Amino acid sequence: MLIAWLIVLPLGWATLAWIAGPRRGAALAFGGVLVQTLLALALAREVAAHGPVAHAVGGWGAPLGIDLRADGLSALLIVLTQVVTLPLVLYTHAWLDAQDRDGAILWPLLGLLLAALHALFLSTDLFNLYVTLELLGLAAVALVASGGERAQLAAALRYLLASLVASGCYLLGVAIVYGVHGTVSLAALSAVLPAQPGTPTLLAGALMLIGLMIKTALFPFHAWLPAAHGSAAAPVSALLSALVVKASFYVILRLRLTVYTSWAEQLDWLPALLGGGAIVYGSWQALRAERLKMLIAYSTVAQLGYLFLLFPLLAVGEVALLAGALQILAHALAKAAMFAAAGIALLATGRDSVAGLASLAGALPLTWFAFGLAGMSLMGLPPSGGFLAKWLLIDAAIMREQWLMIVLVVASGLLAAAYVFRILSRAFRDAEHERAVALRRVPRSMEWVAFALAAASVLVGIEAGAIAELLGAGGVR
Amino acid sequence: MNADLVFDLVLGAGLLWSAAGALLGRDRYGAVILFIVFGLLMTLAWVRLAAPDIALAEAAIGAGLTGALLLDALGGDSAGTAQRGASRWLLLPLAGAIAILLAGALRGLPAPSGELREAVSAALAHSGVSHPVTAVLLNFRGYDTLLEVSVLLAALLGVLGAARDARPARLSAAPLLQAATRVLVPFMLLTAGYLLWAGAHRPGGAFQAAAVLAAGAVLLALVGMLGGWTRPALRTRLAIAAGPAVFLLVAAPSFERTLLLQLPPQHAGRLILLIEAALTLSLGFILAGLFLALLRGDTAGDGQA
Amino acid sequence: MSSGLFYAILGCALFALGLAATLLLREALRRVLAFNVMGSGGFLVFVGLAQRDGVVDPVPQAMVLTGIVVAVAATALALALLRRLEQTDAHEP
Repeated sequence: MLIAWLIVLPLGWATLAWIAGPRRGAALAFGGVLVQTLLALALAREVAAHGPVAHAVGGWGAPLGIDLRADGLSALLIVLTQVVTLPLVLYTHAWLDAQDRDGAILWPLLGLLLAALHALFLSTDLFNLYVTLELLGLAAVALVASGGERAQLAAALRYLLASLVASGCYLLGVAIVYGVHGTVSLAALSAVLPAQPGTPTLLAGALMLIGLMIKTALFPFHAWLPAAHGSAAAPVSALLSALVVKASFYVILRLRLTVYTSWAEQLDWLPALLGGGAIVYGSWQALRAERLKMLIAYSTVAQLGYLFLLFPLLAVGEVALLAGALQILAHALAKAAMFAAAGIALLATGRDSVAGLASLAGALPLTWFAFGLAGMSLMGLPPSGGFLAKWLLIDAAIMREQWLMIVLVVASGLLAAAYVFRILSRAFRDAEHERAVALRRVPRSMEWVAFALAAASVLVGIEAGAIAELLGAGGVR
Repeated sequence: MNADLVFDLVLGAGLLWSAAGALLGRDRYGAVILFIVFGLLMTLAWVRLAAPDIALAEAAIGAGLTGALLLDALGGDSAGTAQRGASRWLLLPLAGAIAILLAGALRGLPAPSGELREAVSAALAHSGVSHPVTAVLLNFRGYDTLLEVSVLLAALLGVLGAARDARPARLSAAPLLQAATRVLVPFMLLTAGYLLWAGAHRPGGAFQAAAVLAAGAVLLALVGMLGGWTRPALRTRLAIAAGPAVFLLVAAPSFERTLLLQLPPQHAGRLILLIEAALTLSLGFILAGLFLALLRGDTAGDGQA
Repeated sequence: MSSGLFYAILGCALFALGLAATLLLREALRRVLAFNVMGSGGFLVFVGLAQRDGVVDPVPQAMVLTGIVVAVAATALALALLRRLEQTDAHEP
């Protein structure tokens, strides 16, 4: 029942928010996400205690019907979704007020986005995944465009076209799989697929992988991301970087673990190589960025590269998966905090510049501190979640004697430090000049949200034990 | 060579030609017309593949509504921008290479197992309808349909968000056309109702019915009897929300039915008809709204729907 | 060759044409048309391949129906964005 309500509830409050209009939208969103948080935690407890939870929609059961399934990883990601979104709802409400805009479109879209995320994390059906990916993509594009500014419209269109090409490739892959194997259910496929799949199935896998890599903005398919995340409204950027891009990565991981298993080990170096490229390229561009939100967006490109490093390490076992999960969690919270801080800077100074954030050091210390904490997690300083994720990744890399990978992980930490310090150090140098700029009042709640998200990103490290237990008991493989 | 193969070859050639023409032609207006032709030829292809539900949807939505959207998007700007020379010459070879790669992989496949088809036939009696495609769409894989309706809603929200600051418009009235429309639209309503009801035991259903409703709305807009939207009023919002709301209410688990979208066999037929009726209303509004929100008109309307 | 397989191969050709066009063409409107051609190609492969033995299969037909609806939703959004961009550019040259 929990699983069913996780789907029905966000769709329900989104529909109500659409009918009720902008004034009640925020309350519906907050209430809805609050209940979702309770449901998500209950689900996680259930999975940790009794193993994966299955739900046959309509009672038919795959492959005739569609099965939903919550294992350790999906339960964890659903909890993450609520933890990121709940504070952002408060932030968005304050932000809309400060900008004197209404959320008539935004609140329903948020509900649809959340429903898409839940549906995606719980799905075990290739075509169902296609539909959830489409819902996620369209809702995200609509959110980017909702501000109405020219840069946002252009970025949204680019995002949409990239997303549609990606979905088209993915769908062709699904079409071939169905044609060859007669089913789109992951469970049925993992049973039926022989150790050496034939050419058509390999081709289908390649098509699906390409589509998903585009959606995850893996280098070199990342071109759409900086514009989209960099020009969207701050709360939207936070959601996109924290959650939306992780969803398509999750699908890649799920396919790798369930369907394309044994023989795919030979090809694991490919995503890892591209991931390495992402780390280098993304970090370099972040160092050069002049606009604050662009810097943060390029940082996302770099940090997503990390996640792809874990593919060659999957053979090691649970450690790699735990590293990946911690990286997703830490990055999501840190990135959400950073965008929240950037949004506050934009509101206060009226400019989206690196110098703008620096000027806050004196006037809005909480925001500046939040940015620093988030940076700490991104750099991988102990005891943050980011540190633990990188430590585990290096641990697994040592076990597999992947020396190049260790170099990459360490180098990326240093590069992240470089672009984070670039911002923080400006505070000392430019604070003198910037004090003259009049700062707009920013609601306290927004600052507290940024701080809470950043703190959570650091504290994730402390909860690592419970997370490991959830993943283990949940039986991800 | 038998007649079927000749027909298929000619149709295939037509599809490739109209697609290439739409993509590579210099004149934008011509490109859109060729694209509509492509859509109509696709309808024939679906008929050849014994997929009348898809053919209906392709004709109404793929060729019809998309064509209307494209033509409206063109507005007065029908002159083309000349395509860059280099990329055009690269396009056909690249396409050819990809096509050969894909088609080559599909040779020599054994016959399909047909297990899922048989499972559908076996379970059809308990699904509440007698048309297999409707059974799959609204019962066995009804969850996909629920999400798909949400996709449409998200798209409409996006379109409304993008249209927010635009001035809503109304096309100038054309009395003769209006008179003709007054006769046509009731027939379209009847057709939509028939398609909705027929979907239970023959090709048809909510999507096709909604497409006809939307077509009726587009027609009304084109003759100046309906204005563009930018901020739908409460009644319209309720109409749009009715489909998802009814679907969710039926789908939601309760104490006796703990699973999502569990339709007990004895009530399944009625529940499906209920869902489809609500969906027809909502999707009709949504599909119409996708067109009306950006209507490029001659006079300013008030934007209230 | 069966009718199903013929259309599946035709679908591959259309998909390839649409994909190449989306990648190489510059004008946004053409890319929207190209994505639709790509999608139609994929749908033909879906049904054609599944029905290569000539027997009607309702499952891919239902899926393609869903796909067509999703495609029109995406097309409408793309065109809306395109239109707003043109209007914004026209007001502020």
